[in-house]
Amino acid sequence: MCGICGHTADPEARAVRAMNAAMVHRGPDDEGHWTDPEAGLSFGARRLSVIDVEGGHQPVRNEDGSVWAALNGEIYNHPRLQRLLRERGHELRSGVDTEVLVHLYEEYGEDLVHALEGMFAFAVWDAKARKLVVGRDRFGEKPLFYAPAGEGLAFASELTALAAGAELGAELDPAAVHEFFVFGYVPGPHSIVAGVRELPPGHLLTWEPGGQLAERRYWAPPAPAVESSEPLPDLVGELERLLAASVRSRLVADVPLGVFLSGGVDSTLIAALAARESSSPVKTFTVGYDVGDVDESEAARRTAAEIGSEHHELILAVEEIAARVPAVLRALDQPQADQSLPAFQAIAGFARESVTVAVGGEGADELFGGYPRYRWLARAEALHSRVPAALTGPAAKLLERGLPAGRVGRLADVARPRPATERHIDWIAGERLEKATALYGPQLRAPASLADLAAGLDSLIAPDGLSTAGRFMLLDQLHWLPGDVLAKADRASMQVSLEVRTPYLNHELAEFAASIPPELHSAGDGKVLLRTLLAQLLPKSALKRPKTAFRVPAAEWLRGPLAPVLADQVAAGRACEEGWIERAALSRALDAHLAGSADNSAALWPVLSFGLWLDRLRGRDAGV
Amino acid sequence: MPASNGAGRRLRVLLLTPDFPPAEGGIQLLLSRLVSCLEPEVEFRVLTLGQEGDEAYDREFEAEVQRVGSASGDRRLAALRLNARSLAEARSFRPDLLLSGHVVASLGAMVLRKLLRVPLVQYVHADEFRVRAKLCEAAVKSAEATIAVSEYTRQMCLDAGADPERVEVIHPGIDLPPPPSYERDPRPTLLTVATLLFRYKGHDVMVRALPLIRAKVPDARWVVVGDGPFRPALENAVRAYGVEDAVELRGRVPDSERDSWLERASVFCMPSRLPAAGLGGEGFGIVYMEAAAHGLPTIGGDVAGARDAVRDGETGLLVDPTDHLALAAAASELLADPARAREMGEAGRAWAERHAWPLVAARVEELLRRVAG
Repeated sequence: MCGICGHTADPEARAVRAMNAAMVHRGPDDEGHWTDPEAGLSFGARRLSVIDVEGGHQPVRNEDGSVWAALNGEIYNHPRLQRLLRERGHELRSGVDTEVLVHLYEEYGEDLVHALEGMFAFAVWDAKARKLVVGRDRFGEKPLFYAPAGEGLAFASELTALAAGAELGAELDPAAVHEFFVFGYVPGPHSIVAGVRELPPGHLLTWEPGGQLAERRYWAPPAPAVESSEPLPDLVGELERLLAASVRSRLVADVPLGVFLSGGVDSTLIAALAARESSSPVKTFTVGYDVGDVDESEAARRTAAEIGSEHHELILAVEEIAARVPAVLRALDQPQADQSLPAFQAIAGFARESVTVAVGGEGADELFGGYPRYRWLARAEALHSRVPAALTGPAAKLLERGLPAGRVGRLADVARPRPATERHIDWIAGERLEKATALYGPQLRAPASLADLAAGLDSLIAPDGLSTAGRFMLLDQLHWLPGDVLAKADRASMQVSLEVRTPYLNHELAEFAASIPPELHSAGDGKVLLRTLLAQLLPKSALKRPKTAFRVPAAEWLRGPLAPVLADQVAAGRACEEGWIERAALSRALDAHLAGSADNSAALWPVLSFGLWLDRLRGRDAGV
Repeated sequence: MPASNGAGRRLRVLLLTPDFPPAEGGIQLLLSRLVSCLEPEVEFRVLTLGQEGDEAYDREFEAEVQRVGSASGDRRLAALRLNARSLAEARSFRPDLLLSGHVVASLGAMVLRKLLRVPLVQYVHADEFRVRAKLCEAAVKSAEATIAVSEYTRQMCLDAGADPERVEVIHPGIDLPPPPSYERDPRPTLLTVATLLFRYKGHDVMVRALPLIRAKVPDARWVVVGDGPFRPALENAVRAYGVEDAVELRGRVPDSERDSWLERASVFCMPSRLPAAGLGGEGFGIVYMEAAAHGLPTIGGDVAGARDAVRDGETGLLVDPTDHLALAAAASELLADPARAREMGEAGRAWAERHAWPLVAARVEELLRRVAG
């Protein structure tokens, strides 16, 4: 159920109809809007029917029509909520989860969010109190953008939809563009368009006529614990209880459902639990490629055989890339530099041929300590707390000269004395930091320094008393997870009208994970608890599973099918025309890449995403 | 050697237990109060582990206490020494009956039972079935009688293969405080008293329920008495929900302060669940009974021993302990209705009076005499 919008000064529902029209991909099955004639406020919703296919028209109202609601997402515990509400005498007319919102609002007011388990962005209008409450889920799975509109407010699930209904300026925020090139995504609460905000995860927004807009946090990922006394088997037992319950709740749908299976620990564990919890064989989906050396389909095939799933495999052929990648990147509401996004969109589209909902492993790395970065950052901090910079500095220089770039080169960086958060940014940005910023045009001449960006990140977390690994796990949950992982999953799947559900992103599970020291999570190959549970469930396949990021053969694609698209960007793209990117520099980087003398994918890919996105915003048809 | 227990002769009971005061804990308290109440009609000798401050304690204690090894070192080794020593102790004391206070002591007790042909009574609590399943099975199958502290524990005995005729439920007793005044703090107060040592006590679910409780009872607060390694995680959870102003973590406090909270709070709340392994948890939950004795309505998890300790709808409410919605509904219902809370508190006090130590000890004595034959 998949796209919402609203406007507080829209008595004829013109704006919401326009916004709805810009979100058909999010909800192709149904469209609805409603206006409070007295207040002049309108709500709209596009719907992908997943629960109560017939009875789920939105927006919905309470018994006397004094409370209205629209919902994007899923409230997994809605059967429990329906029972609770009926016990309290509420009359529910449908089986749809949106309806619980109006009655929960009657019970708890804004605190209704604390009754919800799921991925959601919702809006509730209290006609009696003349108050609008907008809420976003705890991890940021479902998006919500808003902008002031006169004395009122306009909001929508996607920035592009908001632009269709609210009179937004066309001005980009250079700071946000710079952050896009550093992080690979535009981190909330700012958006790439000046004046538009993204409601942060775990927050509520309230608006009353004549009153101030107010944002309030209702939940945040708990800071990671410092110590623990529990034996591992007890922890794994509790993990199994919570994760199995979360998987079970995400398997409830009135439409066909599948599981994304990459072959890594996270998705394998989900698939194994889904197979255990389902009475019929689950459908699993994997993507592979016909170029490059990135392929996890063999590992996924083995897992599928072991759990007895009905396995589907897509080979994303290089011939498809020329058309698919530009179309996907152009259609995004904000640019995204994650190279795996088009592949995610492809596998989502492939799955959509047989299912409406797919379950994925998002969030496991961030909650359960999957990234090696946590260990390495901790090692670096430990080193520099013991050895003075007078010694580590020269040692780092020697290592830099002696070691090749890449994984081994990281050793040199560990030795280099610098603030941990700067090291963190450098490591997540990788080559992009240097190579993409080298292409900056005059619009981006004075970007924020690494130290400024680090200070911004530090302000998100209270570092007091947290270990190094704990700080960066928490930071990833607040920044990288919503900005990259979840935005990618939402936009890529919504482009093809597939709903993605994420069992790891359950707040009870997240609170449990946070109660265990990060050092325990990230020991060895990381995700100790998940690996241990997987070894219990699938002893055979758990033997050796290397860390597998969702990677794609980007360098090959850029040299082949995407080369003309980039050439067009050099020739006439708005990114160069408007001075965001230096044309000559981009041209050189592209030539070197095509000639094979350098791998410039780290810079070319974000430029491609930004350029295509900007062309669409400006109405330029790239003709590719 | 047949157990001779002629009329007029005091029953001689050898109590074997790794857990005994001055260390604190539910089992320690239960066994020491039992012995105190039954002396001098029953003559006890206690064989337990050595610990700090034991000499002073033993001097004042009603029965003779023998100590072996140390409770603070390697627990397995200490248990082994306790079991080995029980043979010599039995030879010198010549008991009519063996009372094993914890399955850890049952190994020696089972040997003695065969060697000396003395009947054995085994006490079972709950958690040992998770940790020492095999030993529990052997102990409850061989003992002449097993005292289970709750129906929950009794069921675990039956599941382990015990003869239903030989397992009796006797709830632990309590020392009754003076009758409560029923004058409560004006601020609606939920109270939990538990060490922050076990996840299953449900502090996490309490935090999750708190915003919903506050939506109904805006000035409600939650007072937590007890400390332990989970405290930092609990503090982090409280911050995650932004309910710092509604939570008071008092830590470990003197008994007098704890009792004062039991007098002042509105509702006692401890939604204990089953541990992930599915066994253990609250064997009975004596703290529910202590709260009831102070006239507090109690909310517990609808699992394990709490089902015996809390009479659902009468002395308090039982809820699904993993469901914060149910917990929030129960807690706000009682906070918002002081008359109903008081009614439950009064019923709780009456329920607690039926668990006064003299009454409970008399039931145990009756069982011991019956078994000794």
